[in-house]
Amino acid sequence: MKKIHVRVSRYDPEGDARPHYQNYVVEVNEGARVLHVLQAIHDEIDPTLSFRYCCGAGQCGSCAVRINGVPGLACMEEARDDMTVEPLDLPVKKDLVVDLLPYLNTLPRIQPGGEAFVPDREKVELIKPLRSCIECLCCVSVCPAMDVTRFDGPAAMRQEQRLALDPRDRKDRVTEAVSRGLFACTSCQACWKVCPKDIEIPGKAIEKLRALANRKGLTLPRHQEVARFIRESGRSIVRTGPTFLEDAPEVIEPDGPVRATVGFFVGCMYNGRLPATARDAMEVLKRNGIRVIIPREQVCCGSPLIRTGQIDFIDTLKKRNIDAFVFRNIDTVLTMCAGCGSTLKNDYRTPFRVMDINEVLTKFGIEAPARLPIRVTYHDPCHLLRGQGIRDEPRELITQVADLVEMPSVCCGSGGGVRSGMPDVASALGENRRKEIEKTGAEIVVSSCPFCEFHLSEHTDRPVRNVTSLLLEGYREKDRKKAEQQVQG
Amino acid sequence: MRSAEVLDCHVLVIGSGGAGVRAAIEASGYGETILVSKTLAGKGGCTTMAEGGYNAVLREEDSCGIHFEDTMKGGAYLNDPELVSILVAEAPQRINDLLAWGAVFDVTDSCDVAQRPFGGQTFPRTCYAGDRTGHEMMMTLIERLASTNVEIENEVTALDLVREGERVVGALCLDGKGEVMVIRADATVLATGGGTQIYDISTNSSSGTGDGFAIGYRAGAELIDMEMVQFHPTGAVYPYDARGRLITEAVRGEGGILRNAAGERFMSRYDPERMELSTRDVVSRAIATEILEGRGTPHGGVFLDVTHLPRQQVEEKLPVMLEQFLKFGVDIREEPMEVAPTAHHVMGGLRITPDAGTTVPGLFACGEVTGGVHGANRLGGNALADTQVFGKRAGESAGRSPRRDSCIDPKAIEAQEERLAAFLDGQVPPSTVIRSLKTAMWEGAGIFRTEAGLNKTLGVISHLSSLRLLARTRENLAECCTAQNMLLSASLVVRGAILRKESRGAHMRKDVVQTWDARNSPYGHTYQSLDRSGIETAVRS
Repeated sequence: MKKIHVRVSRYDPEGDARPHYQNYVVEVNEGARVLHVLQAIHDEIDPTLSFRYCCGAGQCGSCAVRINGVPGLACMEEARDDMTVEPLDLPVKKDLVVDLLPYLNTLPRIQPGGEAFVPDREKVELIKPLRSCIECLCCVSVCPAMDVTRFDGPAAMRQEQRLALDPRDRKDRVTEAVSRGLFACTSCQACWKVCPKDIEIPGKAIEKLRALANRKGLTLPRHQEVARFIRESGRSIVRTGPTFLEDAPEVIEPDGPVRATVGFFVGCMYNGRLPATARDAMEVLKRNGIRVIIPREQVCCGSPLIRTGQIDFIDTLKKRNIDAFVFRNIDTVLTMCAGCGSTLKNDYRTPFRVMDINEVLTKFGIEAPARLPIRVTYHDPCHLLRGQGIRDEPRELITQVADLVEMPSVCCGSGGGVRSGMPDVASALGENRRKEIEKTGAEIVVSSCPFCEFHLSEHTDRPVRNVTSLLLEGYREKDRKKAEQQVQG
Repeated sequence: MRSAEVLDCHVLVIGSGGAGVRAAIEASGYGETILVSKTLAGKGGCTTMAEGGYNAVLREEDSCGIHFEDTMKGGAYLNDPELVSILVAEAPQRINDLLAWGAVFDVTDSCDVAQRPFGGQTFPRTCYAGDRTGHEMMMTLIERLASTNVEIENEVTALDLVREGERVVGALCLDGKGEVMVIRADATVLATGGGTQIYDISTNSSSGTGDGFAIGYRAGAELIDMEMVQFHPTGAVYPYDARGRLITEAVRGEGGILRNAAGERFMSRYDPERMELSTRDVVSRAIATEILEGRGTPHGGVFLDVTHLPRQQVEEKLPVMLEQFLKFGVDIREEPMEVAPTAHHVMGGLRITPDAGTTVPGLFACGEVTGGVHGANRLGGNALADTQVFGKRAGESAGRSPRRDSCIDPKAIEAQEERLAAFLDGQVPPSTVIRSLKTAMWEGAGIFRTEAGLNKTLGVISHLSSLRLLARTRENLAECCTAQNMLLSASLVVRGAILRKESRGAHMRKDVVQTWDARNSPYGHTYQSLDRSGIETAVRS
């Protein structure tokens, strides 16, 4: 047996104005799940605690709650000491019980023609991963887009795609999905990462539905423009000034001994819109012994096309990019754009390894920068945190330069083609970030994605910096101090 | 007394698992139908947890005659042959209903519904959707239900049926706040599932508390073969709180091997012909014997091993098993599972006619709450088929019932209110009673039974039943009612077990020496109702 301290959100609409926390200490068995802690409270301490559960085996989706802020099934997540258990971010009926029905009742339901037949094996294999949904609504409770616009959410989109794939269904699910907000998803992947069944809703449902919408001519006009531009120029960004690639040397030799050699995939945003940030990154790499090769013929990774369902030109882009690095015998490609990195890692099959710049710098270790007397907050780029699983690395770098104040990791609204296609939605999400940034009291916002950096800068009055730009500031400060000492000495 | 809310309908269906929802879908074609669900409809019951599959004769090489014979043999010939004939004949039609409504079963390359072998079959006839077959069915049924005009009362607990004379005319229920709800109906379908939650180690969902057995019994219905409780051979053994969680028979169907702690493939000593795919009663006793005789694993189970199978097969055919074990720190592609028997299914239940009528007019029943279909031991894959075949029949029979002018006797409501009021003034929390009951049942009415042990268990049940259950608030009233239902169900199981002085199928009496095999048993069903109880001794053909 072991002792568990737990803080549980309690709320009785009949007596409480708002939810409050109640602390409990219970004895449970080794390996007990969160559910068993709740049962222990109910059985031993307070039978008025309400929570919902049924199968106890992760198959019915009744018992989803937030455990330390993260949605999950109470019956499957192991109980930890000092945990907080709260209801999902949905209308609360009592304590941990939320009202699932208003959402469940909106899910699209099959309209079969009446014939009994099975889809062919290929179809079945495509449908199956979407079919394992247990409708626990963890995904719905974390979807940021649903908070700011009429978007029916990940569970509904999952079901739309399941129906779109099924030859027995008689309705036009693609048009329906579009009318239910298909283009509002920022592909932040929060839904997928909390799904107890690991259903890849953004990639397996939303992007697939967008591709079907594309065939029906339903792609948003602004997205079509971007696609046209990529087709013509190989880039998703209109040239407004000198680009990074135009000015960059073919190879950047480091200051000291070579500790590693990487090929740099710059990406459209750092190339065309934020070249100064890319140059900051090069300075940091140079200072830390990383030799960088920069193939000029690289093009857009294709992410803006994949996210918006315009996939017919993708293979051409992939081939051009892969060839550019393979031609130079590069075994490690470095990305600093979270979107490009996620695309190269997840949508490409590359003969080389792809590493984000945060990974490279923490792997090889960096020269200590000077500490800056500032407090910063860090915005997790969705395509870095969830797309590549990179959470600790940027924090490890940032905390060497400045004090870090955390804020919740929520999408800023710049991804998934939403900024171009549905600017109001992107803006509303950006404004939500503004509030979170203000709460931290930080003087500077740090991130590691050009889309986030560019978008956030429009939604906060604080400066927004890339991780490497912040490091470079630390190095410059260090150099300045050193020079000062020399002058004084 | 508060004036209770009264609802009126043609057909009332109690229970929202596979059988209840199927019945409601069918009944809705005949008139206004209310479905009462203790949980959120679709999430409760055991159908959604069912993993392995659905037995149906779909191939030329197979036949209903063979499915019938497999089922009778597996059931130790205690099954009602007429019900079995219906089961095997209609299972294919009912799977076709599901396919027409959008079910996504696994298919072969030639676009047929795929089938795999399950225990006790002479032909591999178990249709499946990976190892989440029941979930697939439930998703399909709930989608279908949404297209009907069935009114769903979610998170409402049925308390008791109400009779007018002999006839059932509706039910009294409790809503989420603990207020009494009255539902009048021309016909009522009981589809509340089983009740192996009365055991310490069980695969059942939280709703498997035997409510239907108790509700039916109190309304005068006759129950048969309640002693026939299936112990599934393979339940999880650790962590402690997850013990009993179902490890699907599909693991063995896909080629999983059982070994004891010494590494011996022990099934060769118990059933050399069928080995791991013997019937559940045989495999459960084999595993229990290995453990009792000291050849168990450190966690008190035996090994179930799929590490010799291709990883892809495990990932594609057993994804839920893989996911669940990973959550508990075991990668079944790399290391064996540890398993032990777990109370899984009640073969006994309300006696029904082929049209799903019970012994009480106006009351129909389907699914696990009924008895007779599976005899003394159910074959894996036959329960999901049962839910659909008899779910449809019950819904249809109830739907065809004549409309009547009936009313709920206010005295019945009054009596129920009094029962409930007593809980608010009680002494013992239901959870305490339930814990004691579970332990007593596992010890005294488990896989191996003796008359002495059964009598002792009955004594414990009777003591627990005498305690005054406590509900802190009205919202806790349902827990007290559930505890009482569990106590009553447990007593029906134990009494049935005492009545049957033979070992047959899942019922193993260590204290009885018998000279007959199942086919030549002098006994038929045990039966229990408010009026009578006993064991049939009619000579079997």
